[in-house]
Amino acid sequence: MCDQTFLAIVFGPCDKCSKEKPLRAIYIKSEQLNYCSLCVEMMATEGLHENETLASLKSEAESLKGRLEEERAKLHDVELHQVAERVEALGQFVMKTRRTLKGHGNKVLCMDWCKDKRRIVSSSQDGKVIVWDSFTTNKEHAVTMPCTWVMACAYAPSGCAIACGGLDNKCSVYPLTFDKNENMAAKKKSVAMHTNYLSACSFTNSDMQILTASGDGTCALWDVESGQLLQSFHGHGADVLCLDLAPSETGNTFVSGGCDKKAMVWDMRSGQCIQSFETHESDINSVRYYPSGDAFASGSDDATCRLYDLRADREVAIYSKESIIFGASSVDFSLSGRLLFGGYNDYTINVWDVLKGSRVSILFGHENRVSTLRVSPDGTAFCSGSWDHTLRIWA
Amino acid sequence: ICNDTSQGRRAVEQLRTEAGLERMKVSKAACELLQYCRAHAQSDPLLTGVPASANPFKDKKTCSIL
Repeated sequence: MCDQTFLAIVFGPCDKCSKEKPLRAIYIKSEQLNYCSLCVEMMATEGLHENETLASLKSEAESLKGRLEEERAKLHDVELHQVAERVEALGQFVMKTRRTLKGHGNKVLCMDWCKDKRRIVSSSQDGKVIVWDSFTTNKEHAVTMPCTWVMACAYAPSGCAIACGGLDNKCSVYPLTFDKNENMAAKKKSVAMHTNYLSACSFTNSDMQILTASGDGTCALWDVESGQLLQSFHGHGADVLCLDLAPSETGNTFVSGGCDKKAMVWDMRSGQCIQSFETHESDINSVRYYPSGDAFASGSDDATCRLYDLRADREVAIYSKESIIFGASSVDFSLSGRLLFGGYNDYTINVWDVLKGSRVSILFGHENRVSTLRVSPDGTAFCSGSWDHTLRIWA
Repeated sequence: ICNDTSQGRRAVEQLRTEAGLERMKVSKAACELLQYCRAHAQSDPLLTGVPASANPFKDKKTCSIL
């Protein structure tokens, strides 16, 4: 037999209406008050705390925003490129297309490298997802999704599976098999379900969990085996277009960017937004962590790429030129973080000196928008995918 | 109205958390970014450029024996 506890009912005058009734203790601004059940109900339906109105909340929000600006400005004692003046300038870069992967029938929308530094998965508007051996340019696997516009794809850390999704609002995982008799599509597992298109997906440190971003304005963390939602991340005011996980040493956070022009950093365990940055003037198409995990870069439709330092809690560099007027769709860092590669909607790839803020190279080759770009895991090359139906490996 | 105030309350709470963050001066943060780049520059193949023999994507010059 277990002990039973009874709720002790206090009878007395209600703090709000003064009537003699059974009272419930409630807490407003850490103060305990005793309300009768009717007053508690009324308060709940009004949705207001005492002394709190929509107007007062708005003005508090404004003053907090002002305080945030002040705090951030206090620490803005110097610009990154000024500190970088003492760093040696970079020499000339010769980067060429070393491989062209042809086979997609329509715009390439997304790609990801396998940890083996040679395999690549790519997805396109016509619903096809292809796994390539980038050394030989051979196609190793191909699957046709039941939807068009497969905007997201990712390689599992083990190299044994891929994830993809798009207009089907889902993220599905396909185990990769070398058995010629097996139909890849047969083993498909639906993991994530959103209420709008899937814009980005990424496995976490293992094949067991997937992080997704969606046009429904949220990000979510899923268990692959059960398809269960582990955590959801709310805060963006519009479609979320991209995400990137922090390098494993730096802990459980990730950054996302969206059509609300905000980049937000999240705690994966609590679902809380830790920091947010709103300096871009248009949609943020791509976000990528700096290799140390202390900063991240973003690419936007406002034709700029920017660098945000997480410890200084502010934007510390803008990569732009008057001559660049088309949006940046995709960004990634070289291994040391010194170079930032940006794929743009004007068909080019611009290479930026992250520290000095200057452009060091411009790469031509694609015949339509560059939609996706990733540096290989060992940093020897980077791959770009384009609306011209091809992928190119540059080194 | 309910929705707006609960949204407003959430926004205020989020801003309070963000305002309370510990921040570093840009000069110090920038120095650390520089240090990281410097420390890893030598092992960045796209930065330093590696010879064809070390990069699987660069075609090696082959000798043909006639």
